[in-house]
Amino acid sequence: MSAAGAAAAYLGRRAAQKERVRLLYRRALKDTLNWTVNRHHFYKHASDLREKFEANKHAEDLDTIDRLIQVGEANYEKLRHPDPYIVPWAPGGSKFCRNPPPPAGIEIVYNYGIEEDLN
Amino acid sequence: MQHLRNSITKHVRLSCSTGLSEFGATGRLLNSPCQRFCVSSSDTSMEDLTARVLELVKKFDKMDASKVTEKADFQKDLSLDSLDRVELVMAIEQEFSVEIPDQKADKLSCCADVVKYISEAQAEKKEST
Repeated sequence: MSAAGAAAAYLGRRAAQKERVRLLYRRALKDTLNWTVNRHHFYKHASDLREKFEANKHAEDLDTIDRLIQVGEANYEKLRHPDPYIVPWAPGGSKFCRNPPPPAGIEIVYNYGIEEDLN
Repeated sequence: MQHLRNSITKHVRLSCSTGLSEFGATGRLLNSPCQRFCVSSSDTSMEDLTARVLELVKKFDKMDASKVTEKADFQKDLSLDSLDRVELVMAIEQEFSVEIPDQKADKLSCCADVVKYISEAQAEKKEST
Protein backbone atom coordinates (compact mmCIF):
# COMPACT_ATOMS: atom_id res chain seq x y z
CA MET A 1 0.00 0.00 0.00
CA SER A 2 2.72 2.43 1.02
CA ALA A 3 4.74 1.39 -2.00
CA ALA A 4 1.80 2.23 -4.26
CA GLY A 5 1.42 5.55 -2.48
CA ALA A 6 5.07 6.32 -2.96
CA ALA A 7 4.85 5.40 -6.64
CA ALA A 8 1.82 7.66 -7.08
CA ALA A 9 3.63 10.51 -5.32
CA TYR A 10 6.66 9.96 -7.54
CA LEU A 11 4.56 10.00 -10.70
CA GLY A 12 2.68 13.08 -9.57
CA ARG A 13 5.86 14.97 -8.86
CA ARG A 14 7.32 13.85 -12.17
CA ALA A 15 4.26 15.08 -14.09
CA ALA A 16 4.46 18.43 -12.33
CA GLN A 17 8.11 18.72 -13.27
CA LYS A 18 7.39 17.91 -16.91
CA GLU A 19 4.73 20.61 -16.98
CA ARG A 20 7.12 23.14 -15.48
CA VAL A 21 9.85 22.33 -17.97
CA ARG A 22 7.44 22.64 -20.88
CA LEU A 23 6.20 26.01 -19.67
CA LEU A 24 9.72 27.22 -19.06
CA TYR A 25 10.82 26.18 -22.53
CA ARG A 26 7.83 27.84 -24.14
CA ARG A 27 8.36 31.11 -22.32
CA ALA A 28 12.09 31.10 -22.89
CA LEU A 29 11.64 30.42 -26.60
CA LYS A 30 9.19 33.30 -26.91
CA ASP A 31 11.55 35.51 -25.02
CA THR A 32 14.34 34.57 -27.39
CA LEU A 33 12.19 35.85 -30.23
CA ASN A 34 11.69 39.11 -28.32
CA TRP A 35 15.40 39.64 -27.88
CA THR A 36 16.45 38.86 -31.44
CA VAL A 37 16.16 41.53 -34.08
CA ASN A 38 16.24 39.26 -37.09
CA ARG A 39 15.00 35.85 -37.91
CA HIS A 40 18.42 34.41 -38.70
CA HIS A 41 19.70 35.45 -35.28
CA PHE A 42 16.77 33.70 -33.70
CA TYR A 43 17.62 30.30 -35.20
CA LYS A 44 20.98 30.19 -33.52
CA HIS A 45 19.70 31.39 -30.16
CA ALA A 46 16.81 28.94 -30.28
CA SER A 47 19.06 26.00 -30.99
CA ASP A 48 21.38 27.08 -28.17
CA LEU A 49 18.40 27.16 -25.85
CA ARG A 50 17.34 23.73 -26.97
CA GLU A 51 20.84 22.42 -26.31
CA LYS A 52 20.73 23.78 -22.78
CA PHE A 53 17.54 21.83 -22.17
CA GLU A 54 18.85 18.69 -23.86
CA ALA A 55 21.99 18.73 -21.72
CA ASN A 56 19.93 17.76 -18.67
CA LYS A 57 17.60 15.42 -20.50
CA HIS A 58 18.74 12.32 -18.63
CA ALA A 59 18.68 13.71 -15.09
CA GLU A 60 17.04 11.10 -12.88
CA ASP A 61 17.04 12.33 -9.29
CA LEU A 62 13.89 14.27 -8.43
CA ASP A 63 15.62 16.81 -6.19
CA THR A 64 18.30 17.45 -8.79
CA ILE A 65 15.63 18.05 -11.41
CA ASP A 66 13.83 20.45 -9.09
CA ARG A 67 17.01 22.36 -8.52
CA LEU A 68 17.77 22.50 -12.26
CA ILE A 69 14.29 23.82 -12.99
CA GLN A 70 14.69 26.44 -10.29
CA VAL A 71 17.98 27.58 -11.76
CA GLY A 72 16.39 27.74 -15.21
CA GLU A 73 13.42 29.74 -13.99
CA ALA A 74 15.64 32.18 -12.11
CA ASN A 75 17.71 32.62 -15.26
CA TYR A 76 14.61 33.24 -17.34
CA GLU A 77 13.30 35.82 -14.85
CA LYS A 78 16.63 37.59 -14.85
CA LEU A 79 16.87 37.84 -18.65
CA ARG A 80 13.25 38.60 -19.43
CA HIS A 81 12.56 41.20 -22.08
CA PRO A 82 11.09 44.43 -20.63
CA ASP A 83 8.88 45.10 -23.65
CA PRO A 84 7.88 41.81 -25.27
CA TYR A 85 6.09 41.46 -28.59
CA ILE A 86 2.38 40.84 -28.23
CA VAL A 87 0.14 39.85 -31.11
CA PRO A 88 -1.94 43.01 -31.82
CA TRP A 89 -5.30 41.38 -31.19
CA ALA A 90 -4.29 39.56 -28.02
CA PRO A 91 -4.82 41.09 -24.57
CA GLY A 92 -2.18 43.77 -24.09
CA GLY A 93 -1.66 44.18 -27.84
CA SER A 94 -2.02 47.49 -29.62
CA LYS A 95 -5.29 46.53 -31.34
CA PHE A 96 -6.88 44.82 -28.37
CA CYS A 97 -10.44 46.15 -27.80
CA ARG A 98 -9.95 48.87 -30.43
CA ASN A 99 -12.83 49.78 -32.68
CA PRO A 100 -15.46 47.63 -31.01
CA PRO A 101 -18.68 46.85 -32.91
CA PRO A 102 -21.55 49.32 -32.32
CA PRO A 103 -24.15 48.27 -29.75
CA ALA A 104 -27.14 46.26 -30.95
CA GLY A 105 -30.12 48.30 -32.11
CA ILE A 106 -28.09 51.07 -33.70
CA GLU A 107 -27.98 51.02 -37.48
CA ILE A 108 -26.95 53.29 -40.29
CA VAL A 109 -29.70 54.64 -42.54
CA TYR A 110 -28.35 55.18 -46.02
CA ASN A 111 -31.19 57.06 -47.76
CA TYR A 112 -30.23 60.40 -46.21
CA GLY A 113 -33.73 61.31 -45.13
CA ILE A 114 -35.46 60.83 -48.48
CA GLU A 115 -38.80 59.28 -47.79
CA GLU A 116 -39.67 56.18 -49.76
CA ASP A 117 -43.42 56.73 -50.20
CA LEU A 118 -43.12 60.33 -51.44
CA ASN A 119 -43.98 59.75 -55.12
CA MET B 1 37.07 56.58 -59.51
CA GLN B 2 33.38 56.86 -58.80
CA HIS B 3 32.70 53.98 -61.11
CA LEU B 4 35.28 51.84 -59.33
CA ARG B 5 33.77 52.67 -55.97
CA ASN B 6 30.29 51.86 -57.17
CA SER B 7 31.32 48.53 -58.54
CA ILE B 8 33.12 47.62 -55.32
CA THR B 9 30.26 48.62 -53.06
CA LYS B 10 27.82 46.81 -55.28
CA HIS B 11 29.94 43.69 -55.09
CA VAL B 12 30.28 43.96 -51.31
CA ARG B 13 26.57 44.44 -50.86
CA LEU B 14 25.79 41.51 -53.06
CA SER B 15 28.13 39.12 -51.31
CA CYS B 16 26.91 40.26 -47.92
CA SER B 17 23.27 39.70 -48.75
CA THR B 18 23.85 36.24 -50.21
CA GLY B 19 25.75 35.27 -47.06
CA LEU B 20 22.83 36.34 -44.90
CA SER B 21 20.29 34.42 -46.92
CA GLU B 22 22.39 31.27 -46.75
CA PHE B 23 22.62 31.64 -43.01
CA GLY B 24 18.88 31.99 -42.78
CA ALA B 25 18.34 28.90 -44.90
CA THR B 26 20.49 26.78 -42.62
CA GLY B 27 18.50 27.78 -39.55
CA ARG B 28 17.75 24.73 -37.50
CA LEU B 29 14.09 25.14 -36.78
CA LEU B 30 10.97 27.10 -37.50
CA ASN B 31 12.14 27.96 -40.99
CA SER B 32 8.75 27.48 -42.56
CA PRO B 33 6.56 30.24 -41.12
CA CYS B 34 8.72 33.20 -42.03
CA GLN B 35 8.01 32.82 -45.73
CA ARG B 36 4.35 33.55 -45.32
CA PHE B 37 4.58 35.55 -42.15
CA CYS B 38 2.90 38.60 -43.60
CA VAL B 39 0.06 36.85 -45.37
CA SER B 40 -3.11 38.17 -43.82
CA SER B 41 -5.26 35.34 -42.61
CA SER B 42 -8.71 36.84 -42.29
CA ASP B 43 -10.75 35.28 -45.08
CA THR B 44 -9.79 31.63 -45.00
CA SER B 45 -12.25 28.84 -45.14
CA MET B 46 -11.91 25.64 -43.19
CA GLU B 47 -10.31 23.70 -46.07
CA ASP B 48 -7.72 26.39 -46.76
CA LEU B 49 -6.89 26.49 -43.09
CA THR B 50 -6.47 22.73 -42.91
CA ALA B 51 -4.24 22.75 -45.97
CA ARG B 52 -2.09 25.50 -44.52
CA VAL B 53 -1.73 23.75 -41.18
CA LEU B 54 -0.82 20.46 -42.83
CA GLU B 55 1.73 22.16 -45.05
CA LEU B 56 3.28 23.90 -42.06
CA VAL B 57 3.45 20.72 -40.01
CA LYS B 58 5.01 18.84 -42.92
CA LYS B 59 7.74 21.45 -43.23
CA PHE B 60 8.73 21.14 -39.57
CA ASP B 61 12.19 19.60 -39.75
CA LYS B 62 11.91 16.80 -37.22
CA MET B 63 8.74 15.56 -38.85
CA ASP B 64 8.30 12.56 -41.09
CA ALA B 65 6.25 14.33 -43.76
CA SER B 66 4.69 11.15 -45.14
CA LYS B 67 3.07 10.33 -41.79
CA VAL B 68 1.38 13.68 -41.33
CA THR B 69 -2.39 13.48 -41.56
CA GLU B 70 -5.20 15.46 -40.04
CA LYS B 71 -5.75 13.09 -37.15
CA ALA B 72 -2.18 11.95 -36.49
CA ASP B 73 -1.20 12.63 -32.89
CA PHE B 74 1.96 14.72 -32.61
CA GLN B 75 3.35 12.81 -29.67
CA LYS B 76 2.30 9.23 -30.39
CA ASP B 77 2.12 8.93 -34.17
CA LEU B 78 4.68 11.51 -35.22
CA SER B 79 7.11 10.81 -32.36
CA LEU B 80 7.78 14.38 -31.32
CA ASP B 81 8.89 15.01 -27.75
CA SER B 82 7.32 17.68 -25.58
CA LEU B 83 9.84 20.37 -26.47
CA ASP B 84 9.34 19.72 -30.19
CA ARG B 85 5.65 20.22 -29.65
CA VAL B 86 6.35 23.55 -28.01
CA GLU B 87 8.38 24.59 -31.04
CA LEU B 88 5.65 23.46 -33.41
CA VAL B 89 2.97 25.38 -31.53
CA MET B 90 5.14 28.46 -31.68
CA ALA B 91 5.57 28.06 -35.42
CA ILE B 92 1.80 27.83 -35.75
CA GLU B 93 1.33 30.93 -33.60
CA GLN B 94 3.61 32.88 -35.89
CA GLU B 95 2.13 31.60 -39.13
CA PHE B 96 -1.39 32.59 -38.16
CA SER B 97 -0.42 35.44 -35.80
CA VAL B 98 -2.54 34.22 -32.95
CA GLU B 99 -1.66 34.07 -29.30
CA ILE B 100 -2.28 30.61 -27.87
CA PRO B 101 -2.41 30.54 -24.05
CA ASP B 102 -0.13 28.05 -22.29
CA GLN B 103 -2.91 25.77 -21.09
CA LYS B 104 -4.54 25.59 -24.52
CA ALA B 105 -1.20 24.94 -26.18
CA ASP B 106 -0.78 21.73 -24.20
CA LYS B 107 -4.09 20.40 -25.45
CA LEU B 108 -3.34 20.80 -29.16
CA SER B 109 -2.40 17.23 -30.00
CA CYS B 110 -3.25 16.86 -33.70
CA CYS B 111 -3.74 19.01 -36.78
CA ALA B 112 -7.52 18.96 -36.46
CA ASP B 113 -7.26 20.49 -32.98
CA VAL B 114 -5.05 23.23 -34.33
CA VAL B 115 -7.45 24.02 -37.19
CA LYS B 116 -10.35 24.16 -34.75
CA TYR B 117 -8.53 26.48 -32.39
CA ILE B 118 -7.38 28.84 -35.13
CA SER B 119 -10.79 29.10 -36.76
CA GLU B 120 -12.31 29.96 -33.39
CA ALA B 121 -9.64 32.57 -32.74
CA GLN B 122 -10.21 34.15 -36.15
CA ALA B 123 -13.97 34.25 -35.68
CA GLU B 124 -13.38 36.03 -32.38
CA LYS B 125 -11.06 38.48 -34.03
CA LYS B 126 -13.55 39.26 -36.77
CA GLU B 127 -16.23 39.90 -34.20
CA SER B 128 -14.13 42.32 -32.25
CA THR B 129 -12.86 44.38 -35.19
